[in-house]
Amino acid sequence: MTDNKEIRISIPALARVEGEGALDVVISDGQITDLKLRIYEPPRYFEKFLEGRMYHEVPDIVARICGICPVAYQMTAVQALESICDVAVTPWIRDMRQVLYCGEWIQSHSLHMHLLALPDFLGFNSIMEMAADYPQEVQRGMRLQAAGNDLMSLLGGRSVHPVGIIPGGFSRAPEAVAVSRMVDTLAVATDDAQQLLRWLVTLDLPVVEQQFVSVAMRSAPAYPLYQGRIISSQGLDIDKQEFAEHFSEFQVPHSTALHCLLDGQAYLVGPLARLNLNHDCLPEHLQVLLDELGIQFPVRNMFCSVIARAVEVCYALHEAQRLLEQYRLPDQAAVAVIPRSGVGFGCTEAPRGVLWHRYELDDTGRIVSARIVPPTSQNQARIEDDLRQSLTAHGLERDEDSLRLMGEKVIRNYDPCISCATHFLKLSVRNESVLVPEKSPIEDDIAFDKTTSSVAVIGVGSAHGADQLGYDVIRWLEKNDSVQRADVAVYYLDHFDMSFIKHIAAVEQIIFVDAMQAGRAKGSLIMVKGKDKDVSTRQANISSHEMGLQEYIVWLQTMLDEGVDISVIGLDTGGDAAWCYQEKDIQAVAMAILKMLSS
Amino acid sequence: MRNATEELGAVAGKKPRVAVHKFSSCDGCQLAFLNLGEALLELGRVVEIVHFVEAGPVDAYADVDIAFIEGSVSTAHDAVRIKDIRERSRFLVTMGACATSGGIQALRNLGNGGDWLESVYASPEYIDSLDQVSPISQHVSVDFELWGCPVNSRQIIAAVRSLLLGVPPVDANEKVCLECKRNQTVCVMVTRQALCMGPATRTGCGALCPSFGRACYGCYGPAENINGAALAQWFAGLGAVSAEVADRFQMIYSQSEALSETAKDYRQRSGEDRD
Repeated sequence: MTDNKEIRISIPALARVEGEGALDVVISDGQITDLKLRIYEPPRYFEKFLEGRMYHEVPDIVARICGICPVAYQMTAVQALESICDVAVTPWIRDMRQVLYCGEWIQSHSLHMHLLALPDFLGFNSIMEMAADYPQEVQRGMRLQAAGNDLMSLLGGRSVHPVGIIPGGFSRAPEAVAVSRMVDTLAVATDDAQQLLRWLVTLDLPVVEQQFVSVAMRSAPAYPLYQGRIISSQGLDIDKQEFAEHFSEFQVPHSTALHCLLDGQAYLVGPLARLNLNHDCLPEHLQVLLDELGIQFPVRNMFCSVIARAVEVCYALHEAQRLLEQYRLPDQAAVAVIPRSGVGFGCTEAPRGVLWHRYELDDTGRIVSARIVPPTSQNQARIEDDLRQSLTAHGLERDEDSLRLMGEKVIRNYDPCISCATHFLKLSVRNESVLVPEKSPIEDDIAFDKTTSSVAVIGVGSAHGADQLGYDVIRWLEKNDSVQRADVAVYYLDHFDMSFIKHIAAVEQIIFVDAMQAGRAKGSLIMVKGKDKDVSTRQANISSHEMGLQEYIVWLQTMLDEGVDISVIGLDTGGDAAWCYQEKDIQAVAMAILKMLSS
Repeated sequence: MRNATEELGAVAGKKPRVAVHKFSSCDGCQLAFLNLGEALLELGRVVEIVHFVEAGPVDAYADVDIAFIEGSVSTAHDAVRIKDIRERSRFLVTMGACATSGGIQALRNLGNGGDWLESVYASPEYIDSLDQVSPISQHVSVDFELWGCPVNSRQIIAAVRSLLLGVPPVDANEKVCLECKRNQTVCVMVTRQALCMGPATRTGCGALCPSFGRACYGCYGPAENINGAALAQWFAGLGAVSAEVADRFQMIYSQSEALSETAKDYRQRSGEDRD
């Protein structure tokens, strides 16, 4: 191992997280020089298609942002809508919402702990594998998950996209007999949850102490769930109306989820942040249990998030049981809502942390505008900070597999809900396979060595119609042995792929060769310099195939050292994908490339 | 669908290989697996789950006997990926509204995708997003469709079981109304003047919304041979304005031909030009 070794780690698909994400890390000279949690879940534009919809449709629509925490979205939405329409719900409605929300916490936390997180700590790839060695623990986890689902079904009809919540209350009140059966189930689950907590504290969790800002709601003396103010460990204490003044979202090129910062800095939301700020609001018996187990909040080790989740499951079971034990059938399960115009805010504690909504209604009850800030986009910046610290503490000199596993563990710890975070967003990079012929004749010819190559010429395309141009040009260069410089490497690339970067990490100049669609006449030679930002700022697609050459270049610009000269050269197909170009066309492109290389 | 008896008969001897792939979605349909509890472990014993990112196994390029697809195609990359999966899968089953019909995010097809992109993003050039969201069947052939938003565990298990036994799964395409009658649920359209989509919607949910005293909003998709015009006329008779009727028909299954035909008609009546 040399001092200046450069390692690039990429995890193209993060397993056991909810949604689609990936991680890229670059380590050089023993330092992390670049680190990106990439989220590539496609945009879903919920805020946009909510516009024009009636207020009573909102709970059913926003539920679809996330299958794991639909209730959080429904609750936050009805809270906002009711505030606009000046609706005061009855104590029964308030209590039952609390119960339903508890059901979602129990379900979501149990699922995360057992299916997503625990296999990490115990060294398995999945719960299916883990079940062979830990049958009791897995069964207990599944019982807890089922108890959460049952609680959601009791009030919502089903646990994924429940139908019980409407603006004004519930569409139906459960029968007393069903409630009393549920109370029995909760008693068993309470026992399970406490055993789970006792077991978790015996596990050998990694210890990585970090400094971070916690943000959560506060509704002392109660533990925060459905209502409260927004506070931070640094003294922030605001009402939900003031959220946008302190928290700002912005787009980063590598993620379809917006990043959110509190007064310019990263912060943590979720179970650990909630407990760090609200441990004094836990019921007394739980505080006693925590003392007995030697758990003291606030906690600075992010890996204790799994313990925080178990504590919250204990809390939620207790809270649901307390409220259901005094259950009475109400006179009405919902109060009337008369729509009126205005702006309203909703803020609740979703299983993964603070969830904030803002709606504007017109006087007929139609949505004028909607804005949703989910917990995962708030945690993104914190996750990247954590990864930098945790990987460094883990030891950057370790082998790549070990670093990769550590990275995955750290990310899963936050239980990122990527579907939520990208409720309207999507990014540019993909994890496609790349065609780099293992024994490319050209590589043999010029004795390719990436440490000495300073230029990469990359033919982009496929074996179809005009899209073969990139390949044909590379073949022409190869056949005519025309590249006189020894520091030029050539490639065939069929899909844009982040892993390809390892082949071009050290180069100073990159030339992409491709069939283009820039709206010029068929056969026009087009050259675009990436350096002068022409590529990255163009709105129209210059590439004839849909794979996003521009986006790839933008991404490369963020990944490679500054000053790498990226350009694109090719022929316009004039919109004719089946265009059969001539040998002279190929030659024209090749000559232009040679000219670029000689200058 | 292809001859399932013949195709999967050959599988009976060895453990069939199953993959669960995600496209643009909320992940709710994958929960039909993850909420199975003990049955998930049992499933893991009778089939080999080779790719299911949320549950752990990652092998996107594995050859499988059954591929379950969640989510709709909404990027150029998705369109390439689904073709690849099709080539590697003997049976391809879509699960849920997104995969089967485009899902709720297909509502963006009614708006202007480009404008939306620019209104949401400071830097739209970073974004790969096709103008139209489309169901899986628009890109590759689909062997069986599981309808529902979300699908439930019962449907998944029934489909897996049928395929393992070598018979085509049963397509439940009757209407919610029939389920209501069997459950003796009082009709919400008749007694509460609710704009119930039940007469045009597939069963599968257990007629959940009417049993909660509210109108069905069509989350299981269009049933067979629906009469959209007649239902819309009922809605209008109950006092719904044209835009409301159109929105009722175009929520989760906005791309369904049967539903969008009626919606289009009512959008025109309301003078909106969203379609």
